[in-house]
Amino acid sequence: MRFSTNILIAICLTTSNVIFSQTTGNSAVSITLPVVTLLDIEPTGNFTLNFTAPTEAGLTVVNPAVNTTKWINYTSAIAPAGLTRRVTASVNQVIPGVNIRLQAGTASGAGGGTLGTSSGQVTLTTTPVTIISGIGGAFTGNGANNGHQLTISIVPNTYANLSARTNTPVVITYTITE
Amino acid sequence: MKFNSHFSEKYPLTKYLYIVILLVFSQCHKGQTLTVTGTSWAVPITTITEAGTNYSGTYQSAANQVLLAASVPLLLGSAKVSVHYQANPTWHNSLVLSTRRTGNGTTVCVLCTITGGTNYQTLTLTDVELFRIAAVLALGSYSNIPIQLQLSGVSVTIPATTYNSRVVFTISAL
Repeated sequence: MRFSTNILIAICLTTSNVIFSQTTGNSAVSITLPVVTLLDIEPTGNFTLNFTAPTEAGLTVVNPAVNTTKWINYTSAIAPAGLTRRVTASVNQVIPGVNIRLQAGTASGAGGGTLGTSSGQVTLTTTPVTIISGIGGAFTGNGANNGHQLTISIVPNTYANLSARTNTPVVITYTITE
Repeated sequence: MKFNSHFSEKYPLTKYLYIVILLVFSQCHKGQTLTVTGTSWAVPITTITEAGTNYSGTYQSAANQVLLAASVPLLLGSAKVSVHYQANPTWHNSLVLSTRRTGNGTTVCVLCTITGGTNYQTLTLTDVELFRIAAVLALGSYSNIPIQLQLSGVSVTIPATTYNSRVVFTISAL
């Protein structure tokens, strides 16, 4: 009987050691990704679009060459199930007799994610107009040759409204919004 | 039984010998143990300040972010420490956790060895072996084994919210 008791004690001791042996543990990792909404135009600086007077009576003014030096860069991080973003453009003033036209190209370069889609060519006014839409979590890459190339042109619309002017600065404002 | 009782009464020291043998026996059968300490890792995300750029993508914790204490009983000989991660409760598949052993920790066992796990091991939802401990002629016990964590795949393309996970370490027989 005593022998049986000893065996029982041995089993209990062994079992208890196994039961109370800790064989696993864990450590926590956390990361918080913030909402990000950034946009800029690369490279910085102004450009000039000058009409040229015709040299032959009866001809129209000669339109300036389109400007394709500017690129839109953006970084966008949105919340789960959040709304996509869009980019709008507007001018601070409209010049009578001419249209300022803008077209964002298809995104290219070093970017990734859900990049936006161009709205095609638009005519800029003082009211913001969407030029790129459907931007999700995305980044275009930084600098020229990354993002959406802008094609900006100026053309006469109503000749009757044209008037000679010099150095008329027009500011184009780009906004990324939901 | 009668013989046993008579035997004990005849040799009283035998009772204490039994106890010693039982204790030694039970300790020899003691399972391997693992204790995880250290601090939780809140990954310090660098704020993006330049439009068009993304996060750097890869972040490393301190070399001793996690400290493990592991012991292997003599009779078991050797054991392996495995690791996996668990979402707690939300994680994103694009976030890739890795871990590595950056040191041997400390031990009083001269002949014991700790091997493997010095290169980053990508974690999955199931256990992958990180390193092994071998005990030779003694209880193999290591403490303060330093573990470093790495997080890659951080991007603005991942929905902006908080993600949490647990890195789970497990010791088991080979």
